[in-house]
Amino acid sequence: MDKASISKKFLYLFVMAVFAGFIFMGNTCQAKQEFIVGFDAEFPPYGYMDENGDYTGFDLDLAEEVCKRNGWTLVKRPISWNTKDSELESGAISCIWNGFTMNGREGQYTWSTPYVDNSQVVITKSGSGIKELKDLSGRILAVQTDSSALAALEGEDATDENKALAESLKELQQVEDYNSAFMNLESGMVDAIAMDIGVAAYQLSSKSDKFIMLDEKLSSEEYGIGFKLGNTELRDKVQLALLGMLQDGTFDRIVNKWGLEDSACLSFEDTTYIDGCKVPVPDSNSGDNTGNKQEGTSNVKSSAPKNVEMSIAQIVKQLSTGLAATVGIFLLTLLFSMPLGLAVAAARMSKYKIPQWIARIYISILRGTPLMLQLIVVFFAPYYVFKISTPYAYRFYAVIIGFSLNYSAYFAEIYRSGIQSIPQGQREAAQIMGYNRGQAFFRIIFPQMVKRVLPPVTNEVITLVKDTSLAFALSYSEMFTIAKQVAAAQKSLVPLFVAGVFYYIFNFIVALLMERIEKRLDYYK
Amino acid sequence: MSVLEMENIKKSFGSKVVLKDITLKVEKGEVVSIIGPSGSGKSTLLRCATFLEHIDNGEISYIGKKVVTKGTEGAVYPPKKELQQACSNFGLVFQNFNLFPHFSVMKNITDAPIVIQKRNKDEVYREARELLKKVGIGDKENSYPCELSGGQQQRVAIARALALRPAMLYFDEPTSALDPEITAEILRVLKSLAAEKMTMVIVTHEIDFARAVSDRVVFMDGGMVIEEGKPEDVIDNPENERTKMFLKKLHV
Repeated sequence: MDKASISKKFLYLFVMAVFAGFIFMGNTCQAKQEFIVGFDAEFPPYGYMDENGDYTGFDLDLAEEVCKRNGWTLVKRPISWNTKDSELESGAISCIWNGFTMNGREGQYTWSTPYVDNSQVVITKSGSGIKELKDLSGRILAVQTDSSALAALEGEDATDENKALAESLKELQQVEDYNSAFMNLESGMVDAIAMDIGVAAYQLSSKSDKFIMLDEKLSSEEYGIGFKLGNTELRDKVQLALLGMLQDGTFDRIVNKWGLEDSACLSFEDTTYIDGCKVPVPDSNSGDNTGNKQEGTSNVKSSAPKNVEMSIAQIVKQLSTGLAATVGIFLLTLLFSMPLGLAVAAARMSKYKIPQWIARIYISILRGTPLMLQLIVVFFAPYYVFKISTPYAYRFYAVIIGFSLNYSAYFAEIYRSGIQSIPQGQREAAQIMGYNRGQAFFRIIFPQMVKRVLPPVTNEVITLVKDTSLAFALSYSEMFTIAKQVAAAQKSLVPLFVAGVFYYIFNFIVALLMERIEKRLDYYK
Repeated sequence: MSVLEMENIKKSFGSKVVLKDITLKVEKGEVVSIIGPSGSGKSTLLRCATFLEHIDNGEISYIGKKVVTKGTEGAVYPPKKELQQACSNFGLVFQNFNLFPHFSVMKNITDAPIVIQKRNKDEVYREARELLKKVGIGDKENSYPCELSGGQQQRVAIARALALRPAMLYFDEPTSALDPEITAEILRVLKSLAAEKMTMVIVTHEIDFARAVSDRVVFMDGGMVIEEGKPEDVIDNPENERTKMFLKKLHV
């Protein structure tokens, strides 16, 4: 066995990884105008992932119909709630349509008229002793990050009673999604959850014996569709389609399907938007067949999609769809970060001060700040810094760029330690034998370095497998993002455990491969 | 004709003067041993001659061609390419051999002739096999350095240096990393090279070895050449006090 055959195998791997990359980058062409709805995919019944792995919900059904009527292609884009404003601002999404509370955000978006009346309520465990809001004093209350419940308690426009209530709490615990809020409540980590009534009703529908909803409400508020401030043209088109749907009964049909009869509030009586503009009026002749449409209502209602329990096999099947994305991120990150790391290591070890310092700063920043933040910066910088709107596919590129930059910094330091651990005599022997610097590096130093850095590189590679889940920061649907969405829809931890098993198997294979490579390099010491 | 000419070599590490003013000439076919106590500068001299260390001032020529020249601001070195070219005049067998551990014995010997000198592959391989036979390890061409004993590794190092067809060979302490009984075998290898008129410079502190192998012995101390001449003169009848002291200490 000689070294050449091993190098050939590596080359082979590289080529395969490049091809895989091209396949992942492929689908970028577009024909019809796209209407990209940004939503939090862990927010049933407004927007979530169903048992077949499709994004569904009341809001998405409405959006689907609006698109049909306008001749648009609907793109359902699950987003991280923390970055929703940047997503909208940069044009990565057309609107936020996701049980999006208008109250308190009136001036920040261009709003449709309200279509759902949603109040903020408090859920607690049955028998917790909490019967009304004042009983929450000294207790721990959970709210979703940047949610309307949080705004109702602590926002600028919060009522004095709510502010006092928030003051009296032992703690106001912010959680990322409602699924974890309920897990917190169930396990006693928090005493109550403040949340939207629609979501609460959905959650309670399957767990009504365990939880109760307080009669007293924190606030009453309304949902609207939020567009980028000033984008009245798109808003009016959507509004017109919605009113058309109200006119011919389609709106009510969808309301019934999702069991939201008590809270839907879209009305012709709202003739002006909250920004004072006049609401357009749809042609009345399209309302002729209202009666026909209404007839179908009862049928649709009976097929309302509620709480279908998924088998493990179904969960596995759904997570598998995200696995390709996870593997894609993994392979492409290695493909780019490993050579890039070598370049950074070379600069770091340069005898010239300038490249040395650039490399030092590069490594220091990339190792010293969270990867999640780096991903966000890479994704949004083109828009916020350079005012370039990025194409749809950039989301994926940003994930790969962010990961590759971050990992190159770690690899650079590993390579450096490997190179420096090789005795100076090897270089001197090569020099005297007439090898130039490049030949000496690639023929003598590099192969020996590879052997020495394999164990720490294996560590990094295994960490990378798990780090791929951080792509959720850019709302890229890899396996763990999907696992969280399924978990939210299923109100269960099982999908997360299944994801854990996936990661373990993935890493087991990676470790096995690395061990084999180590063994193959074991022919010398 | 001189293969190596070193004139007025000066070298300091920081404020420590290691080579004061050394002049050394080696004629074709000559075997020269450089002896002296540790810290005398003999290893540094070898590293300067092989361009592993830059001299502060002085002149170094190989086969009549000046490589490093004296300058008012210190020694003047040629561009990288030319210096690399000058390296092809000599081979160096390191004290700890510095074989390439990831290459087989054969590849250690043939890689540079094929890759650097761009010689015919078959010819290089044939020559390498002959060299291995000559140094007495003809059966080890597929072994890796880690599988060989110290003595065997040294023979590979010698074959590797010879494969590049140098005009001369340097040996840095060839016996220090070996068991005493193997020293005799290495002596045989060196003697057979000497018989073929291979020019050799050997840095050693083993007096018997120096006496047995060399035509000329150079005794260095304190960065200077104290005494030089035939081994029987320098080693057996030294004139200089420092040489006498050094030899006396060794015999205690």
